[in-house]
Amino acid sequence: MQHDNGLTVSLQPHTSGPRLLVVAGDLDHHTTPRLRAALEGVEFGPDADLVIDLSGLTFCDSTGIATLVAAHQRAQDAGAALLLAGLDPDIARVFQIMGLDQLLSFYDSPEEAVRALSK
Amino acid sequence: MRRKEPEVSTVDEAPGRPMPLASAREARRLAAVRRYAALETASGAAFDRVAALAARIFHAPFATVTIVGDDTVRVIAAHGLPPRRGLVESLCAAAVRYGGPYVVPDTLLDPRAAGDPAVLGEPGIRFFAAALITTPDGEALGSVNVMDVRPREAGDEELACLRDLAGLVMDELEVRLATHRTVEVERELRAGAERLARTLQRTLLPPALPRVPGLCAAAAYHPVSADEVGGDFYDLFPLDGDRWGFFLGDVCGKGADAAALTSLVRYTLRAAAVYDADPHAVLANLDAVLQQEHAGGEAPAPYCTAVFGVLQPDGDGFGVTLATGGHPPALAVRANGVVEPIHPAGGQLIGILRNPHFAQVSARLNAGDALLLYTDGLTEARTPSGSMLDEDGLTAYLAAAGPTSADALLTTVHDLITALGKGVSDDTAILALSVPPATRTPSSGSLGAA
Repeated sequence: MQHDNGLTVSLQPHTSGPRLLVVAGDLDHHTTPRLRAALEGVEFGPDADLVIDLSGLTFCDSTGIATLVAAHQRAQDAGAALLLAGLDPDIARVFQIMGLDQLLSFYDSPEEAVRALSK
Repeated sequence: MRRKEPEVSTVDEAPGRPMPLASAREARRLAAVRRYAALETASGAAFDRVAALAARIFHAPFATVTIVGDDTVRVIAAHGLPPRRGLVESLCAAAVRYGGPYVVPDTLLDPRAAGDPAVLGEPGIRFFAAALITTPDGEALGSVNVMDVRPREAGDEELACLRDLAGLVMDELEVRLATHRTVEVERELRAGAERLARTLQRTLLPPALPRVPGLCAAAAYHPVSADEVGGDFYDLFPLDGDRWGFFLGDVCGKGADAAALTSLVRYTLRAAAVYDADPHAVLANLDAVLQQEHAGGEAPAPYCTAVFGVLQPDGDGFGVTLATGGHPPALAVRANGVVEPIHPAGGQLIGILRNPHFAQVSARLNAGDALLLYTDGLTEARTPSGSMLDEDGLTAYLAAAGPTSADALLTTVHDLITALGKGVSDDTAILALSVPPATRTPSSGSLGAA
């Protein structure tokens, strides 16, 4: 199947609280390098957390999953939190079958993820 | 030392026959003719227009475009001539073999033309002029020819135009050759890729499942695309004693990398099971191997999802111990038609996570029960309403089909995949196991353990 939606990745400027990375479109073999590059540019550290807004994500293949897992491990190493927000229910279901729900934190919206961090 | 051969053979001066020049040179020329595939393929409107233009420029009634092969002169375009008439074969062939522009003001006075039927009979050709169609490396393939029924001279301007027309024919043949070669190369590449895909696919899947006493087993692979190798795998194989191992899974990615990873996973699972068949331990072993495979690598971490199980004959059924790593639940279709998952909660992806958790569960397959293992190509398929089929959709479909056997399960899933049509976007591998239903004969005893 062709996934022609492309991918947009944008890091919202840091105001207060965690940074927000907005990812929209199809995350596949062709587009994942863009997300990987964006994530590699993110410095993680204690209190330098990241929320990834995936509410515009329409497709996620195995390379996308590998990239999110790698980012999570980097955040964990640096003592930072990486939160996923707004995941499509079908993609969330796939993540759950893969046992990733035990690893990654899912929130309905970026706002909810930010609130969870401020607690 | 070999004696040096003379480069030019003796010229045969027999009238009415093409004059054989150096055989080596003619062989080179014929090789060029074959290269351009001109004898087989060249014809078409472009060449017809060249012939028509040639006739108009000379104010002559007839013109042809000819290619000279070994012993044939092929007319690829003609203007003004009745079919199969007026072909001055001898002159066309002579023009090519002589080289250079070629004009015969009166054929009756030329020994090479005198015996030609087109000169002696209809239409009675008396004038002949030819310009050679010459390849960039100087081989004459044929000529553009103009003919008249009266003797005459050819002007310099007319001959220059004729040469240009011959050049046009050559340009067209070049384009056709390039196109032909591109198509050929593409066809070869494609055939090679398809051969590789088929070979790899054979190495990924077992050629046939073994016969397990008291058990029916069946497997199928539903590829989405014929030319891209998927990463689904399965196997059923003997362990120590009367135990059997089986697995089914899916590696990340597609294509050659996925195929290589699939082989690694398959052989690791089988080897790990020989060492320690405990399903949890087998998956942990596989995880360690995949983690090592990636260690320090730049490429995305390779990983897979899999179900690994051990079958232990037990009375008229089998005990089943299953471990899963990030894989969709195996579904049991019980003898009474109830469909239930045999799925330990919490198994995670294999090969990519730190301290992954692999879950294990034990169950029984009794007489009349069947077990379905599948890859996510099936459950992630879209139904006509656009929603994901998911485990619930598959469960409902199997429940509607009722009690079943391994073979019937395969058919049921095949029908489902066919019905989902374009909704299926990934390969699906299926492994089905079933225990034959209890026979109603009074003679008791376990089923056909041969």
